[in-house]
Amino acid sequence: MPPVSTASLSNTSRIGLWLLLAPILLWLSLLIILPHVDMILISLQERISSRNYSFSVSNYTEFFTEPLYWNTFVRTAVMSVIATALTLLIAFPVSYYIAKMLTGRLKTVLFVLCLIPFWVSELVRTYGWMIILRETGLVSTFLQWLGLADQPIEMLYNDAAIMVGLIYTSMLFMVVPLVSTLDSLDNSLIEAGYDLGGNSWNVLKEIVIPHAMPGIVSGCVVVFMLTLGNYLTPALLGGKDSLWFTEQIYTQFITRFNWEQGSAFGMLLLILSSLIVWVGLKLSKQSFSKVMS
Amino acid sequence: MSTDDHSNPLSFDLECHNINKAFGDFIAVDDVSFKIPQGSFFSILGPSGCGKTTLLRMLAGFQHPNSGDIFIKGQSVLHTPPNKRPVNMVFQHLALFPTMTVAENIAYGLKRRGISKTEQQALIKDVLERIDLPDAGNKRIDQLSGGQKQRIAIARCLVLKPDVLLLDEPLGALDLKLREQMKIELKHLQQVFGTTFVYITHDQSEALVMSDQVAIMNNGRFEQVGTPQELYYQPKTPFVASFVGDSNRWQGKVSTASGDLLSLTTENGLKLSGLPASSEPFKENDTVIAYIRPEAISIIPVTENLSTVSAIDNTDDINQCHGRIVNILFDGARSQVLVDTRCGEPMHVSLPQTGHHTSLSKGDNVTLQWNKKQCLCFRPAESNTSPHQNLT
Repeated sequence: MPPVSTASLSNTSRIGLWLLLAPILLWLSLLIILPHVDMILISLQERISSRNYSFSVSNYTEFFTEPLYWNTFVRTAVMSVIATALTLLIAFPVSYYIAKMLTGRLKTVLFVLCLIPFWVSELVRTYGWMIILRETGLVSTFLQWLGLADQPIEMLYNDAAIMVGLIYTSMLFMVVPLVSTLDSLDNSLIEAGYDLGGNSWNVLKEIVIPHAMPGIVSGCVVVFMLTLGNYLTPALLGGKDSLWFTEQIYTQFITRFNWEQGSAFGMLLLILSSLIVWVGLKLSKQSFSKVMS
Repeated sequence: MSTDDHSNPLSFDLECHNINKAFGDFIAVDDVSFKIPQGSFFSILGPSGCGKTTLLRMLAGFQHPNSGDIFIKGQSVLHTPPNKRPVNMVFQHLALFPTMTVAENIAYGLKRRGISKTEQQALIKDVLERIDLPDAGNKRIDQLSGGQKQRIAIARCLVLKPDVLLLDEPLGALDLKLREQMKIELKHLQQVFGTTFVYITHDQSEALVMSDQVAIMNNGRFEQVGTPQELYYQPKTPFVASFVGDSNRWQGKVSTASGDLLSLTTENGLKLSGLPASSEPFKENDTVIAYIRPEAISIIPVTENLSTVSAIDNTDDINQCHGRIVNILFDGARSQVLVDTRCGEPMHVSLPQTGHHTSLSKGDNVTLQWNKKQCLCFRPAESNTSPHQNLT
């Protein structure tokens, strides 16, 4: 009798485990693994005639032989890296101020102020930037009123506008991990840094940054991924010539109805972003599990 | 302190003149002045919230006094930022940099001085040997035990040869056994390096064991500065008498004040004699507070009847009273008995572990005796100087 009861107990607990795992397994397999497998399969197909496909890597060779695709790809990657670096440069002092210089109520207020813009959808925020930057927008009108410009200035549809939009969109995802790692830095470590003869630069370089490194890297990874895969901001603020790789994918799927080519681009974007994140982790000597914990 | 320390009486490593510091309405440090001779171990002892940490942070340069001046080796450091002051601090939680190895932690301060790599290596090796951790250089901070971290934190400061080393309750986080061991070790390190230590703590045993001089701080003021022996045997204020060591306390009125000793009657009618500890002489009917330490009282068990023991009453130097044991608080060497004398609160009396008192038990009648000169009498202080008051 006892062996049977333990066996049934372990059976019920096993069923419980599977039930608990079911939602995440369904989520992973139905929404992430299956679509990607399908995308790989589609990307390795070539349409010969209607409903007649054969195996081919031509979609991938197309990418490497056509300079437009290749250039857009590199441009997207470089712009994303720059946007990530600039976001870090702007977010770090902000986060340091919130985490280390402020206490109590003001700290919460400033942190929430960083958060509030994200209660509005990305689309509305981007239109907000368009109102500010367009030819008849706030900045242009203000400059004319000051007499610094004698005619309306178009500030949209260039790389700087894309950059501004990307940084604004990514800010929160850098500030949150930075504030939480900087918050965990004991103030006495900073004081000890000064007490032992260090100046502000030494303290920042030897104590604050090494401590904040997991936060910096995790913020950078998230911001980079979001920027690289962003469609809305480059399309709206950069206009027709924004040449963002996600737009190429969109064009393939929607405009040209070439799902095979679009799937190949999608896979390439996935491989590219994973590769750059891996290189970034190696360069900063951080492990993925440590950064994401 | 040995006499050769006084060979150059003017060599004070640290002098404070009338330091004041207030946070809003709260006065943290109130007109504190002191001088610390070179190479001595100076402790500031006080309850939490008495302003000792604020005082230490002003010495380190993290806070600025509202008024007063701080001199290190005769130079005012009031306008010197913390990273330029010739003082270093061992923080309460040590503040070792967790992202660096032990050697890198020690090298941090040396690098800031522009000392060459090879010289750094030599200095690190030397200081690690002096703290008996010669192989710790490549270890990470989280690989060290509590006592080792302590020593590394001190080494990290001492390698810079500061004029004064400030220590902010560094033993607080250690367990009891290790704390006892570190007390001896800290004192030893201070003697080996010959650096002036300023040590703040709320633990009187740490202060008494290690220090050459102790300042008792309360409500932002120094109540008394003296050697541990002076503070224990000749406290100058009621606060010091009650804060350093344990004491039984009575309040009463002076009945006669002639000669060296004072006779008083407590509120509950107990008649005592004691030594006046205040400089101001007492007059008849003055209110007086008397303190006697539990360890200064001897216990005489009453085996047959009280009349046989009362003969000792004739001795001039002895205070005596009778009572019944209401409880025995066993704590090894620190064991005490609570004796109800029918005169106010039960008295705490130390129970010597010499084997004479093993037969004592709850409910026994005993006679308590103590030397009149060990019973110290004070004027009641102003209302706000109670040692158990909680200020933060």
